[in-house]
Amino acid sequence: MEPAVRDAGVEGERTSRAPGKRSWDEPLSWLVVGRTPLASHLLLSPASLWVLVLLVSPVTLLTLLSFAKIGAYGRILWSFSLANFGQIMRPAYLWVIGRTLVYAGATALICLLLGFPAAYYVAFAADSKRKHLLLFALMLPFWTSALVAIYCWLIVLGREGLINALMLRLGILSTPFSFLNTPFSVILGLVYFYLPYMVLPLYAALEKIPRTLIEASHDLGAGGLKTFLRVILPLSWPGVASGAILIFVPCLGDFLTAEFLGGPRTYLLGNLIDNQFLAAQNWPLGAALTVLLMGMLMSGLYFYGRVEVEETSRV
Amino acid sequence: MSDGMTRREFLKLALLSAVSPRLLAACSGRSKPSVNFFNWSTYIAKDTLPDFTRDTGIKVNYNVYADEEEMFAKLRSGAMSYDVIVGTDYMIDRLRSFNIIAPIPPGALKNRKNIMPIFRHPAYDPKGEYTAAYLWGTSGIGYNKNKIPKPPDSWRDLWSERYAGKISMLDNARDCVSLGLLLEGYPETTTDEKAYEKVKHLLIKQKPLVRSYTSSNYVDDLISGETWISMAWSGDILQALKENPELDYVIPREGSYRWVDNLCLVRGAPHPEDALRLMDYLLQGKVAADIANTVRYASPNAAALPYLNPKLLKDPRAYPPPSVEKRLRFHAELDPVTVQLWDETWSEVKVS
Repeated sequence: MEPAVRDAGVEGERTSRAPGKRSWDEPLSWLVVGRTPLASHLLLSPASLWVLVLLVSPVTLLTLLSFAKIGAYGRILWSFSLANFGQIMRPAYLWVIGRTLVYAGATALICLLLGFPAAYYVAFAADSKRKHLLLFALMLPFWTSALVAIYCWLIVLGREGLINALMLRLGILSTPFSFLNTPFSVILGLVYFYLPYMVLPLYAALEKIPRTLIEASHDLGAGGLKTFLRVILPLSWPGVASGAILIFVPCLGDFLTAEFLGGPRTYLLGNLIDNQFLAAQNWPLGAALTVLLMGMLMSGLYFYGRVEVEETSRV
Repeated sequence: MSDGMTRREFLKLALLSAVSPRLLAACSGRSKPSVNFFNWSTYIAKDTLPDFTRDTGIKVNYNVYADEEEMFAKLRSGAMSYDVIVGTDYMIDRLRSFNIIAPIPPGALKNRKNIMPIFRHPAYDPKGEYTAAYLWGTSGIGYNKNKIPKPPDSWRDLWSERYAGKISMLDNARDCVSLGLLLEGYPETTTDEKAYEKVKHLLIKQKPLVRSYTSSNYVDDLISGETWISMAWSGDILQALKENPELDYVIPREGSYRWVDNLCLVRGAPHPEDALRLMDYLLQGKVAADIANTVRYASPNAAALPYLNPKLLKDPRAYPPPSVEKRLRFHAELDPVTVQLWDETWSEVKVS
């Protein structure tokens, strides 16, 4: 009750004061009154500056760059043209973009298939001590550098690596198998990196399901499978959607995994952009590809936002 | 051009502290002279820089790169503040045109006379103003003798179905496009679109057989058996050969290119005098020989000859005899339009 009374008091004071007197009564009042007082702008300015300097200006520059041309040795000529976007609409480039979409989609799907049972176990079956331990174990890979992890995979997957050595020893293989530089190794790397992004939102969604609903389902005669299909699965949908988008979006821009674990046939959009900026010295074309990538990322995030709104409105 | 310079200077100031605390420390501690050196990775002898510091009291901040285009992209953005860099022949005109390197003051390097005459006035620096040759090498074929008993003798072996999935190619336009032009019978300087169509076709035809395009991991891959045959740089294979005798290197019968890496002085270098002292030191016969003996690329330094490892000097893979030398050519100097044709051809191969 008390805060409300105090609020009313403040409101009363403010209305009782004549608007014209304000400036000489309290010299600094202009800082704190009004719908968006100046002080709020001042306090926000570090954050606004941050966004302006590190987000708005680079993105603007990149967008402008995507319309530029190149001159001698990749020198940037600021003349407006759509040629770069014309170039990336050619079949060879569209193939790379299509391949990237397929890899990102496949990664999200595999993460879902692997992540669902794990999240289900953590949410429903594990006791609270084990639950914390498992969630901790899930986060562990985040604390290693991606590059170190990639080198570990090179050791594990190589012809003289752990898997080949084991399979040769067990007699499953007679000659070492080349796992590296294949679509398999790239997808494996991507799944390894992004799996936690699927498990965590799924876990959050499953954890939120009221246990009473499951009990009710059982009471009404539904078996385990039916309860899972009709109650748990539909209620976990927001987690599935968040996880899928959280994986799909960064996968579109990933280039390290394909660079190290991939081969000539796993050239992805991220590698193409990397190549245009560094080896080919064609920054405008690289910028056009980046703008396209950003467009794809933003539509992904827009979709994610829609799903979230739907989720909260449903709850 | 002065506009580009000021922007570079500004970026340097703005980014110096953020980019390299070590460089900042080097600048603020005025009492101790130092020089910032940017070189290819594994491209110096173990004792070279410590000995230089011991002899002169000049500290060397040593940084390496594994990819020359990346090096150029970094220097181009002006974020680095080096004194001495190593640049390959084809990179020199680019570095000069972006005002990244400066002419070496005449007479500043008294050991420059040690450089062999054929390396003193190269096509990329006819007056010898900007560069001092550091090491040279060839591009050829590296292979694993355990997997391929009969030595390959043609570039076409890199297109052989027998080695499908066991081939790696150097990951840069300079090596692959020049090879394509050589095999299709065009000079490097051609601007004929048809030539580049043919090169593109040739390299794309090879692509299904190629396991990886890499300029840094191919030696490891050859050793582990991940690949059997690889487009390679002479010294890389010769270095690994010490511990992996199953490796070998050949210059194919169609001939090949030899390339030259050079010491260059960075324009606006923070420590120009110390930089020149380091360059002069690296041109001393004994020092140059130590480096060449370690990295097993060839030395263009005449004064180094007496100190070179005699076994290495007799090795035709490191120092090709006149019969092989006949088949070697220096990379031609390309104008920017041709460079763009090369880069586009290579990008097309990579995306296909």
